[in-house]
Amino acid sequence: MNDKKFWFTFGVILIVFIIYWLLGHPHFIVERVTMFYAILLAASMLIYYINKAKRGEKIYLRTIPGLKAFEEAVGRATEMGKPVLYVPGIVDMDQVETVAGVIILGHVAKMTARYETALNVPVARSIVMKAGRESVRESYIMEGRPDLFNEDMVHYLTDDQFAYAAGVNGIMMREKPAAVFYQGKFYAESLILAETGNSIGAIQIAGTASPAQIPFFVTACDYTLIGEEFFAASAYLSQDPKLIGAVKGMDVLKFMIIGLIVLSIFLRLFYDLGWINFDILKYLTIQ
Amino acid sequence: MKKLADLVIKLGYVDRRWIFLIIAVVVMYPLFKPLGLPIRPTESSQEVFNTIEALPQGSKVLLSCDYGPSTKPEIHPMAVGVLRHLFEKGHQVYVTCLWPDGQFMARDALDQVAENEYGLNYGEDYVLLGFRPGNEAVIKGIVSDIRKMYTIDSRAIPIGDIPMMKDIKNISDFDLLFSASAGYPGTVEWVQLAADPTGITMSSGVTSIQVNEVMPYVDAGQIKGILAGMPGAAEYEKLIGKPGIGTSGMDAQSIAHIVIVMFIIFGNIAFYLERQRSKKTF
Amino acid sequence: MFWKRQIPIAIVALVGTITLFGWFIDQPDIKSFVDDDATQWYDILASFAIFLGALNLLKLQMQKIIKRKKGWQYSIFAIGGFLFAITAGFLMRGAYTVNINSVGDTPEVVAQVMAEETEFTTNESEVLLGLIDDDSPLPLEKVYMTGKGVNKVANKIIASGASAEIIPENWGAHLTKKDGLFNWMFFKVFTPLSATMFALLAFLVASASYRAFRIRNFEATLLLVSGIIIMLGRVPIGSKISSWFVLYILALLLGVIVNSWKSNKILTFSTVGIGLLVVTIAGFYMGWPIDKPAFAYLPSLQEWIYLVPNIAGARAIMIGIGLGVFATSIRYILGIEKSYIGE
Repeated sequence: MNDKKFWFTFGVILIVFIIYWLLGHPHFIVERVTMFYAILLAASMLIYYINKAKRGEKIYLRTIPGLKAFEEAVGRATEMGKPVLYVPGIVDMDQVETVAGVIILGHVAKMTARYETALNVPVARSIVMKAGRESVRESYIMEGRPDLFNEDMVHYLTDDQFAYAAGVNGIMMREKPAAVFYQGKFYAESLILAETGNSIGAIQIAGTASPAQIPFFVTACDYTLIGEEFFAASAYLSQDPKLIGAVKGMDVLKFMIIGLIVLSIFLRLFYDLGWINFDILKYLTIQ
Repeated sequence: MKKLADLVIKLGYVDRRWIFLIIAVVVMYPLFKPLGLPIRPTESSQEVFNTIEALPQGSKVLLSCDYGPSTKPEIHPMAVGVLRHLFEKGHQVYVTCLWPDGQFMARDALDQVAENEYGLNYGEDYVLLGFRPGNEAVIKGIVSDIRKMYTIDSRAIPIGDIPMMKDIKNISDFDLLFSASAGYPGTVEWVQLAADPTGITMSSGVTSIQVNEVMPYVDAGQIKGILAGMPGAAEYEKLIGKPGIGTSGMDAQSIAHIVIVMFIIFGNIAFYLERQRSKKTF
Repeated sequence: MFWKRQIPIAIVALVGTITLFGWFIDQPDIKSFVDDDATQWYDILASFAIFLGALNLLKLQMQKIIKRKKGWQYSIFAIGGFLFAITAGFLMRGAYTVNINSVGDTPEVVAQVMAEETEFTTNESEVLLGLIDDDSPLPLEKVYMTGKGVNKVANKIIASGASAEIIPENWGAHLTKKDGLFNWMFFKVFTPLSATMFALLAFLVASASYRAFRIRNFEATLLLVSGIIIMLGRVPIGSKISSWFVLYILALLLGVIVNSWKSNKILTFSTVGIGLLVVTIAGFYMGWPIDKPAFAYLPSLQEWIYLVPNIAGARAIMIGIGLGVFATSIRYILGIEKSYIGE
């Protein structure tokens, strides 16, 4: 969406919303209007920075060692003649982390296609299997190696958490992959997988937004993408201006949230001291 | 001295199977010869206890069993302890499950407590509504209209034929929500979609790993207290005065933790000696 | 191309927008779609998609067996387990009971048969059989997994002079019927296997801690110290460790820090000596209570770590993750991210 289109669309939406509001905003839950404005503001910021990046403006992204190691890991597997194992988490495609994991799978598949390395992707959900297959197939086609693609690269094991962990452990012990990627949503099985991967001497790169599992991955893996780094991984790996712009937009939003938190602390303090009548918490509490 | 240092450095790289063997031995010993270590309830467990104590007699409590056999040692003692407490106080318990395995766990707990210990009547004192697929959709369904989600219970009895379901339309008809949760969907989803929007009082018991995720909600007051893992289950058993599996597991957990700490200290001594040696070499 | 590209993008944009902005609208149809229908549509899709996964699993395992690939013997277990679970869940009820409707002329014979099948003695069985009337048959307190088995028992009871009826459990309820086939499989096979896998964590935590908790830098030291405090503070044995013991350890650690900073023996020994003296005097003054001062009592310290730095860190990560989820979702809704169609 270029600037002209963006402003035009923004203007149309604004006018429609103003008319809707003036007509009495039927069915609109007024208590949630703060959140509504916040979503519009946040979305606008993201689109603004995406457009800025598309125009060619250089955006600085700090180096994330875990992401630089992706190519290194696949290269190591190629040299050793061993496969790459990719685990896209254990939940379904309705979770954003799994979606992000499948996106990153596409990037890893490009590398394995380029280096002609075997890729094994065991999954715990059928829909993830289909989505993963499409992603890998496209990557192999884009690298000009459709002959290397095999549908069974992405295969279903089981829905059950620990049965899946047992299955992946079995694959690790039998095939001894040289590089293992854990990119997605994990639960208690994370340490079982990571420790087994460590015991076979594989280089392990984890990425998850599950706060409870991050410490286990940090302890047992060589590199870990924590929280937002995981969501920003697709931008880093593709170097696509649109995605990089979105990462920048996220960072700006974060600064705004920090500023809002600091401002709210002072406003609430002044309210508690009786200096002002305005209770910021009333506006920030979402009903 | 040098030989001792060499040995310590060598042990710093010991095969992990020796560690597994030592852990197995130290965990098994207290299970055969209990040590009887005292349990000290924490504030968060006490809050859960107080919340249930404060319920008026005959309250309607919704208990969600969202765990499976793998996390049974941690969560099942909590579920059993809470059921004992609720039945002791004469409350009515409605059990739902967001996990398919949870239905089996719930059935097990209810057979043990409601049937065998208290001799209660199904349909009048407790009901197992059972598992429904849909994760968050099930919670939303219970929040808006429970009969949209449940037309029959786990025994295939129509909901209309269950006496204690007569006055139940949605979550607002309950006095307390307790989530015994081991992951997704579980406590976080119940808070976000049920407790916070509707204001129903909520307590929870989770695995030790999940406590980090749930603590912000406890701190904000959206969840009243929390039972954290097997220690939480043991503390609750102490508070209700009925020791069970949670209590008996704590001896083994205590010894295992001490052994792990000793391993860590030993590993660091080996690491330090190795660093000193490599410094001297250069 | 239109069907493979524009249509999927339009569906994602439309459904995403309705779901996002539907939260602000109090219109019943939209609310119903957002709260119920959308998630249920997904569950229906996922439920049917399971066939894809199951067929894929069977195909790969069968190929392994047919081609005698490495480890093909394990595939037999995989397929066997799959077929057994399907049979127990969908094809066999696995849960039958017998009701005795009337005793007939020879209650002692019936009681004997009943005693053989249940835990009651012959006398107890006779008493129970005496309670039977037209409106209340006596259910045998035993569940039979196969039709053959229950038929055998029913025939035995009929042959002894009573009238009996086989009651098959309702489909659906047969899964959780105690002592039924599926229930047996769940508690005797699946539960021990799951519990075993989860129990591996105990060993792996020990080996991971041993390998990874080394004092390499400041952050690693912080991780190590807080890990030890939490591990000891959470368990009953932590409440037995006096806070004065911890203070003595701190005094010694202070000496280590001073030594690595200044490398001066006199300064180090003086620091340690003064530290130990201060702790000892304070201990005598306060009467050596086990749980005071609270900042050195492990259970209190671990609670503080849980409630203050842990929550602060968890909240910060949650905010970051929330933003990441928002950004990813907006990219999908606006059509910027098109990986689901392979772009």
